[in-house]
Amino acid sequence: MATHAPQPPAGLPEPPEVPLVYQRRIRDLLIQALYVAVTALVIAYVVLQLGGREYGFGFLNQPASFDVGNQWLTNIDGTTNSRFTMYLVGVWSTIRVVVLAIALSTVFGILIGVARLSSNWLVSRLAMLFVETFRNAPLFVQIVLWYAVVLFGLPTIQNVINVGDFLFLSNRGIAIPWTVPDGGFWGGPDWMVGVWVAALFAAGGLAFWVRRRRQTAERETGKVQYPNRWALGLFAALALASFILLGMPVAIDRPIVEGTTYAEGMAIYPEFAALLLGLVVYTSAFVAEIVRGSIQALPRGQTEAASAIGLTAYQRLTTVILPQALRQIIPSVTNQYLNVSKNSSLASGVSYFDLFFVANIIQNKIGHAVEVFLLITVTYMLMSLVISLIMNYINRRVTLHSV
Amino acid sequence: MAEQPPIPPPAAAAPPQPPRKVVLPPHRERAHRPWRVRAEEWVRRNLFASPGQTLLTFASLALVGLVIAGAVWFVFFQANWRVITVNRWLLFAGGFPLDEKWRLWLSVALVFPLIGAAYGMWASLGRRDLLFIALAGAFVFFLTAHGDAGPSSSVWFAASLALFFLGYRVCRFVPRETGRPRTLAVRTLAALLALALPLVLIVLMVGGGAQASQFGGFMLNLILAPVGIVGGLLLAVPLALGRASSLRAISWTCTAYIEVIRGAPLIGWLFVALFILEDVISSPLIVRTMIVLAVFTAAYVAEYIRGGLQSLPRGQGEAGHAVGLSHLQTLQVIVLPQALRVSIPPIVGQAIGLWKDTALISIILPLRELVGNSRAAIAQAEFIPDRIEVYAFAAVLFWIVAFMMSRISQRMERAQGVGER
Repeated sequence: MATHAPQPPAGLPEPPEVPLVYQRRIRDLLIQALYVAVTALVIAYVVLQLGGREYGFGFLNQPASFDVGNQWLTNIDGTTNSRFTMYLVGVWSTIRVVVLAIALSTVFGILIGVARLSSNWLVSRLAMLFVETFRNAPLFVQIVLWYAVVLFGLPTIQNVINVGDFLFLSNRGIAIPWTVPDGGFWGGPDWMVGVWVAALFAAGGLAFWVRRRRQTAERETGKVQYPNRWALGLFAALALASFILLGMPVAIDRPIVEGTTYAEGMAIYPEFAALLLGLVVYTSAFVAEIVRGSIQALPRGQTEAASAIGLTAYQRLTTVILPQALRQIIPSVTNQYLNVSKNSSLASGVSYFDLFFVANIIQNKIGHAVEVFLLITVTYMLMSLVISLIMNYINRRVTLHSV
Repeated sequence: MAEQPPIPPPAAAAPPQPPRKVVLPPHRERAHRPWRVRAEEWVRRNLFASPGQTLLTFASLALVGLVIAGAVWFVFFQANWRVITVNRWLLFAGGFPLDEKWRLWLSVALVFPLIGAAYGMWASLGRRDLLFIALAGAFVFFLTAHGDAGPSSSVWFAASLALFFLGYRVCRFVPRETGRPRTLAVRTLAALLALALPLVLIVLMVGGGAQASQFGGFMLNLILAPVGIVGGLLLAVPLALGRASSLRAISWTCTAYIEVIRGAPLIGWLFVALFILEDVISSPLIVRTMIVLAVFTAAYVAEYIRGGLQSLPRGQGEAGHAVGLSHLQTLQVIVLPQALRVSIPPIVGQAIGLWKDTALISIILPLRELVGNSRAAIAQAEFIPDRIEVYAFAAVLFWIVAFMMSRISQRMERAQGVGER
């Protein structure tokens, strides 16, 4: 902020010369020079102290000689693959748990946040109890507690809890039905699934286009056009039609118990289940508080006006309250999503092979702590960046649309 | 965003209304009705207002019943609490010498009245707080009254609790409105609170006490978290001012510091404390951990303080300069007090976060705080199947402190009118 002294009116004597040290620009420069010098000294000291180590990222390309557990990438073994490949497997495990945790905690968070404001006394008290219980206990303890519950609270696989032959619970994890590619009644090849997924995307795009057109028409004419119903109906119809046309290329596979393992269907292993459950429960308590706060911050008149024009409670929530509250919710919730991505590093406490756990193993085997740490930090920062970018995009759209 | 609802057609003609009874204003009416009628009405309005509500109520009731039944069954019939009673010292004090138990209790007796005083100064104890304190107290009393902790522990604890209420009572006499007496009292209390931590460390360590490496269990959490938050606050103020500075070299480095620290999770920085920092700072691991906790917290707190700085109108600083205060004076008496006041709620939130984060220290560090020693407890052959008990116990201990902190912060906000400016 360089402030220029006003020019003295003509005829007055020149003001006395200001000493150099007191001139704003000179002083700022001096302070910064001093600051930079001190910082540089500190950095130089740190670099000097760390100079005794060997550096280089070459160790990442050597064979890993350890295995990481990943449910789907079972063909990646430690003897032929490099450490970096193993690290990428860890990154993938992290992404899987983070994406799922974010999606689930958003849904549960909104539900609980709305329940917290319910006119039903019992429901709102229960929601409050949930929030206060899970917000104030450390996430790590919650995760290991869930892990303990799965391992010791559930029966062994010999006494597996069988819920109608489609859900199995035991201390080997939870097995649920899952989709598999299927020849269908035309006996087509497996890549028919891909064709169907492509068809789904096309249908989605078409539905979106129809929705936007109807929305515009609604805005311009004031006549009810049901954009959401149309879009959903169109999507469902197209999905069903393509599914039948392609000869039903997907089948639902029920899990079965074979000896001491699950087969077919999909098994959710205890480590993953504990981590996901911990992240979801903990984060949704925070999301619920954000949702509640943002809704309460709206003027009461909004609810009253919505009731006055005869909207039902559900319409009130979805068309008046939530769209407005979203503007306040999204920035705070973005912070929670960033926390989820960082909190996923607690996975090592339950031996889930996330990126931090794998990196820690690499460091224990070969050292190179500084490089490993740089790798971790850059990965987390990239993940945060992606989350921020996506949320900024959503935020822009929301604020544009509901004004 | 969402579908436009159909606008209901206007009613063709209002149906004839039956003649209404005269309605009394609520307060008159309430006085006339017995509690039974009022209770009935409350239940109807809050639980059974509509068929949907009734369904929700019954579903919630079923859920509550299920959870309570499960909890009671576990706590009283299934759980093996011997794992806690046998390992009590391990969980609470880790490797702290048992003979020096009085040092721990003396620290508790020193800190409790200060907490009570803080309550009395900034908030008041409601009925719920008393209930909570009574429950938590009974819980701890139960723990101390059995086995090797001995009867003296119960006496110590009862005395500490009495001191808590004494501190509270004394501070209730401080006038509520701002003025010289209150300022004086607040400053004294703040100084005492600031002195409490070094004092506790002296009590624990000086004169044949414990080594820092012997600290462990819950006690270690209780020491590490305050160190982290106080150190973080002290570091955060210059950081926040630096980030807001107009000098580019300073603002850029401060921004870089804040963003890099916030970029990696805490456990990553603990990794640094263990494997990298040892080459730079030759000090025991516990000290390095404290440094990392402070440095980590500072980055987050600095952001909250920056938010506080930005919420101030520009005129505040300019007014300070206009009345002839120097840059530092303006900061000290005008800008910082206001900025800090606004940022108190998120800073307390961060303090609670750090308190909970001390639970993850033992994931990679060989420091045995409560969770680390919980693992040690269930590593004993006898107690291998008792994981749930141990971790549930740890969760409850962490929860009590975190809940107290959040209650105090809520009360402080309400008492000071922070956020309602």
